[in-house]
Order: sequence, then structure tokens, then C-alpha cells
Amino acid sequence: MVLPGIAFMFVFTYIPIYGLVIAFKHYTITDTINGAPWVGLENFKIILGDKYFMQAVINTLGISLLKLLLGFFIPVVLAIMIYELKDGPFKKLVQTISYLPHFLSWIILGGMMISWLSTTGLMNQMLSGLGLIQQGSNHLLSANKYWMIAVLSDIWKEAGWGTILYLATMSKIDPTYYEAARIDGANKWTQIKKITLPFLMPIISLNLILNVSNLLGSNLDQTLVLMNSQNSARSEVINSYVYRMGLTQGDFSYATAVGLGISLISVILLLITNTVTKKMNDGESVIF
Amino acid sequence: MGKVLVGFALVGALFALGACGKSSKSGDSSTGSAKTYSIKGRYTPSKTTPAWKLDKKKNTKLTWYVNADWLKLNFGEDLVTAQIKKDLNIDVKIVTGDDTKLNTMFASGDLPDLVTLTDFNSSAAKTANKWAQPLTTLADKYDPYFNKVANTETMNWFQLKDGKTYGYPNFSNTTQDYKDNIMPVNTNFIIRKDVLTALGTDAKFDTPENFQATMKLIKQKFPNLLPFGFNPVTTTTGSLGSPLQDWLGVPLETKDGKYYDRDTDSDYLTWISTINKVYRDGNITDDSFADDGPTFDEKVESGKYATMMYDGTSGAVSRFQSFKNANPGSEYVAIDGPQSTKGNKIGLKQTGLSGWMINYVSNTAKDPAKAIQLFTYLMDKQGQILTRYGVEGKTFKYDDKGKIVMLPEITKLQSENPTEYSKKYRLGEFIFFSHDIVNTYAERPTTAVTQMQNWGKGKLKPHFIIENIQPDSGTSEARSYEAVTKNWQTSLISMLRAKNDKEFDKTLSDFKSFRKSNDWSAILKEQNNKMKDNQKRLDLSKDE
Repeated sequence: MVLPGIAFMFVFTYIPIYGLVIAFKHYTITDTINGAPWVGLENFKIILGDKYFMQAVINTLGISLLKLLLGFFIPVVLAIMIYELKDGPFKKLVQTISYLPHFLSWIILGGMMISWLSTTGLMNQMLSGLGLIQQGSNHLLSANKYWMIAVLSDIWKEAGWGTILYLATMSKIDPTYYEAARIDGANKWTQIKKITLPFLMPIISLNLILNVSNLLGSNLDQTLVLMNSQNSARSEVINSYVYRMGLTQGDFSYATAVGLGISLISVILLLITNTVTKKMNDGESVIF
Repeated sequence: MGKVLVGFALVGALFALGACGKSSKSGDSSTGSAKTYSIKGRYTPSKTTPAWKLDKKKNTKLTWYVNADWLKLNFGEDLVTAQIKKDLNIDVKIVTGDDTKLNTMFASGDLPDLVTLTDFNSSAAKTANKWAQPLTTLADKYDPYFNKVANTETMNWFQLKDGKTYGYPNFSNTTQDYKDNIMPVNTNFIIRKDVLTALGTDAKFDTPENFQATMKLIKQKFPNLLPFGFNPVTTTTGSLGSPLQDWLGVPLETKDGKYYDRDTDSDYLTWISTINKVYRDGNITDDSFADDGPTFDEKVESGKYATMMYDGTSGAVSRFQSFKNANPGSEYVAIDGPQSTKGNKIGLKQTGLSGWMINYVSNTAKDPAKAIQLFTYLMDKQGQILTRYGVEGKTFKYDDKGKIVMLPEITKLQSENPTEYSKKYRLGEFIFFSHDIVNTYAERPTTAVTQMQNWGKGKLKPHFIIENIQPDSGTSEARSYEAVTKNWQTSLISMLRAKNDKEFDKTLSDFKSFRKSNDWSAILKEQNNKMKDNQKRLDLSKDE
């Protein structure tokens, strides 16, 4: 049964690993992988001496950590709130509305954001309507606001979608637990704390692990649409940098070296998180 | 479990090492079809007749990759390509894409018959000898007539180090073409006609002071319009970079033929500072610095800007046309606009010898004879006329002076329903070998940009000497150059948005010191070398 899956993984995931050797070569698109000259750790040296790359690392970590801190628990809370609603049309409506933004591509959303955040856009109209500002400025042009714009828009887009896993898990909780708790005089809050959350813990841990291992992988689509010359100091992330250097400039060896470095760091992060979540789940690991 | 995974990975990697020992497909240009292909029994190549007239082979299928994902063409479904299909008995599958797709193709070693690149400086173009066939060899073997239609100056300009030419460009304008004024200008300072009329004698944009004052006046008289606009600057310098420098006649090289630092030219910076003052007066919106292409185009089409420094007028005919149709009397017109404070003569850039798109026949072309025939066909006069004006009797006729005149129903359709016109005929869209020389074959039809183009007569200047002088990609200079370019974009926009003169000056000096600390001297050396190289190629054509 598992053979096709293994074969698929092998062909599409393991064989291409060989291509990583170009990180240690000077490869141009008209060379073959074997034909390119070896350069040892040259590409890695260049990366470490490249302050633009370092800036991209800082931005990536900044945006990802903010997304993790602000965005990780919102779906959990939202899921519990939706779960506590009475079944019926209202619950369905809330769920649908919270899913919707997920289905908009960043290209569409990016165009919307550019117009919303422009000098006479929706954002400034609201702010001046509330009397908070006199003269609107273009928010996308101020580098310091970029992290917040990126984080909040991403949370707004994905929070609803993130509730699906939790809702599915909660629907499996045996209702007799809640009945017993109610008879014992537990209020809603206690029920959530003592029953719902413990049941959600393994899924929360798994999600956390997945999120942390993605810390260095940032949202390329979002960056490419929202980036401009004025905010690039804060908006350039590792992915967009690699994209610029590798695919648009044809400097593949360099881009591969970056990718390889990122993968290694991600694995280390994954292992650290796994150690932490083991403690959350009584010494049980959720991935190995 | 972990051990199992690691084991798996090791086995996989080992297996892959064996499996991926792909034989080298490149390197020697005499491989592939180039060596083995023969046209024995098909036709005898002739110096005086193009081979496509002699070759009777039917139904050849060619695949043509064009590195431009915006291109929309279905071969054989419109007048132009249907004619090509008929004349050459070929069917072409056009594949479009971007750099990503192109690089994947190279990586797989599986190239289509014809490849069109859009960057003379890409490593693919620089190493064409590894994957493409030399045009002169192809011509000698299958179609000697090619040498009649290929321009010598262009062929020299495109020589690689081995002395052979592999790619042929479109819109490659030679020294002679510049002298003959055959191509229209592409950069204009334009103003809405109703604004111009309302300003009357106050419409002065020539000196920095006048420019600033007139913008204020526009704001007063037309509060709903944005006084001044320019091409999007999200990730480039738009029309306020080199187009403005050309406008002010900033020199291309120093007196002794060395690199001239145009970005820090005092005349140019005076104007940048003026535009910054206009911004501080509130007459340039901040959105101009954040709008992307489509957003800007929409504003142009609805006439949001009173005046614009517009780069790329020839490509925006339909936008100006739709605004003109919807608002007769308010259409954009070209005026002299800003003038050099040093009295330099305007010298606008048009495509130079490097052209724009470069066409190659790949090493793996299944029928290289047909491929070079297609080159010859499209480069020759009748191919040029076909792709631009269509077919005599169907879309145009010759007047008594021998000039091409478009038939009235065609021009009517073009101005009333540009989309339908484009789909049905594709005139001026199958442009891979187009050249501006065709402009001289006809009385040009009047469009929304005709006045702008007429304004530009005699204002062009060849930029050959500084074409393609940036460092080769993949080198450390290229990485520094990229960093400097990006920093210049950011700096220029920051200067335009500076809150006061002090901030303006600081941004500029920061940029200069950034350059210094980023290998500027090495980049300069590289650029000077390339300028020397350019000079050599140009001299090559002078001797002939």
C-alpha cells in the first residue's frame, strides 16, 4: 500500500537532493550539474559577508516571529469561540466569512492593499473620519509600518482557515465529558480549560512545530506585491532575496547555497521545538 | 524512525549520483542537428533567392520559445501569422514564459527549435555558443540570401568572443538609422490639452523656478487633477532616472571616452531637487511612489495627471487613444518641458544596436533549414511589411507615391475597437524581427501619440557606447552593482520625497559613500573595459 507513496517521494524528493551540489560549484544555466567547476565553500563565504542578505534574515525572523506570537493563538481562540456557538445558520455564516479571505490570492489582495493603504485609500478615510489624522500618508511607503502591515494582513487572511484543524478535533470530543463537568458544577471557562484545551494540545503542538520550522520560509507572494523601493529595507525577506539573486539574475549556486543553509537551520529549529513540545505532552513526541 | 529516514536519504543520494550523470548536451556547437542535418534533395541554396521560395517541404512543425510572458499570440489565427504559415508551410507552436521557465529549460537541456531572449546581458545570451548555432554557418549551408538581409553593423555588434554571431535582434537601430530619423521618440513630457489651454502663456516648464510655479498654478486651476506624474517607481527609477537624464542632455561619456557618472550630474540633480520641491508643495502625490503598473495605467487612461514625464509613449498608444476618445479636447500633447540648466541639447534614448529581443536557432532544432528561412523571411522587406502593415489588398494599398496606406476600414476598426483589431490582424505584434525601417514605407496613420512622435523628430541620440556595460552576472562586481542600483533606486525616491534640503543632501551623500564601500571602483573598471570593447565593435563597422 505504501509503495507508490515511497516511490513518489523517492523520485520527486530524494533524487533532486543531488542538485544541492551546485551550492559548492560555480554553476551557470548553460552548464550541466556535473560539468560546473567546484568552488568549495566560496558561495557560503559570500553569503556571510553580504549585509543585504543579513538584513533579509532579520526581516524574515522579525515578520515570522510576530506572525507566530500574534497569529498562532488567534485561530485556537477563534475555533473555541465558533465551537461554543449554537449549531445553526449563524455558526455556518461566521465560519464561511472567516474562511473567505484565504481563497483570495496575494496578487488580488496585494492590489487591494495598495489601494486601501494609499493616501486617499480606505484606511486613511477611516482614520480621518474618526478624526485621528488630518492629512493621509501612503502607509506602504513607510518602512517602519511594513512589518505590522505584513503580519496583520496575513493574520486577517489566514486566521479563519487555521481554525479548521481545531474544529475537526473538537468535534471528536465525547460530549459526556462536558455533561459530567456541568454536573460537577464547572462553568464554561473551566470546561474549556480542563477539557477542550487538553484535547487540543497534541494538534496545537503539531501546528507549533510546523510553524516554527517555517520561521525562515516567509510569504514570497506577499512580499513581491507589497515591496517598493521605500520599504525594501524592511520588506526584503530571504525568499524574495533568493528569488532575485537566483531566478532573476541566474546566480543559481548562490541561491542554492542560501537554500541549503536555510534548510539546515530549519531542521535544527524543528528539533528544538520538538523537545519543547514533548514537555507539553507528558514526554510524548508528536512527530517521531 | 530517524535512522530509517537517514538511511533512506543516503540510499537516495547515492542512487541519484549514479542516475544524474547526464551526458553533457552543450559545449560543442557542432553537436546536435547542426552537424548531421542535410537538405539533400529538398532544394539547392541560392544567393539571389531566399530559400523559403525554393523549399517545398510541407508541414514543418517548429517550437518557438519567447521569453516574454505578456505576449499573447496564437499562431495561425490572425492575418499576419496565417500568412507566414502559408508562405513557409510551417506551423509554429509559440511558448511564452519568464526567466524562471527559461532557466528550467536550460537546466533540462531540452530547448525548443527557436529561442527568443529579451536580455542581451543574460548569461544565456553571453554563452550562446554553447546552445545555439552560428547564423553565418546556417546561412552558408541552407540560405545564403540571409546575408543580404542581415545588417552588418548589427552582426558585428552581436559577435561573441569566437568571432561568430549567434543571435539576431529586432529593433536593432544602426548609426545610419539614427541619422535617418526612422524611429519615433519614446520619452515625452506631456500635458492635457485642456490644462494647456487654461494656462495659456503661463504654461512655462523650462526652468526649475517656472516648473515649480506652473505646478502650483495647475493645482489652483484644476484641484481634481494630480499636477505631475511619472512612470511607476516601485522597484525601478521609472522615467525620473535615465530618461530624465537624457532629456536634460547629460553626457554619456567623459571627454576621453571614459564612464561618466550620470546619476550625480549637477544639472540633473538640480531638476531632481526641483521635483522634490514640487512634492513638498503637495503637487506630487505620495501614491506615485507606491502605485504599481496597472494602477498607474488606469490613472493615465482616465487622465488623472495634468502633466507627465512619460517613458514609453509608443507602447501606450491604446491608453492615450481611449482617453482621447472619451475626452475629446483634453488629450495629452507633447511640449518642450524641462530644459537643461547648462544649455545641453536633448538626446533621447531609443533602442540601440542591441535591439530588444534576440532570436536564436538552438543546437537541437529539428529542422535548422526551416528555422533560418523563417529568420530571412521575417527580416526581409516583405516580412517586415507583413508583420507591420499586413497584406496588400486586405489591409493596405500603395498610393501613387509608392507609400503604404492602410485601408479605411482597418484604421476605423483600430480607432473604434482596438481589441478586436488586435485579435484579428496582430499588426505590429509579431515583432521578433521587426525594425523601425518600416515606418518609412508608409504615411503614418494619425493616432493619439502622433503629435508626441512628431515633436521628437531629431531629438534622438545613439547610446551605443554605454549599452550593456554592467558587470557580467554571477561575478562579485555584479552583486555589488545590483546592490548599488537598488540603493540608487531607494535613494532617488527618498530624495524626491525629502522633507527639506538637508535631508535631500544627506541622502545623496549617503548614496555616494554607499557606492564607495561597495566596490564602486571595481565596477567602474569593469564598465570602462566594456566601453572600450563597445568602441572596438563600432570601429569594426566603420572600416567596412
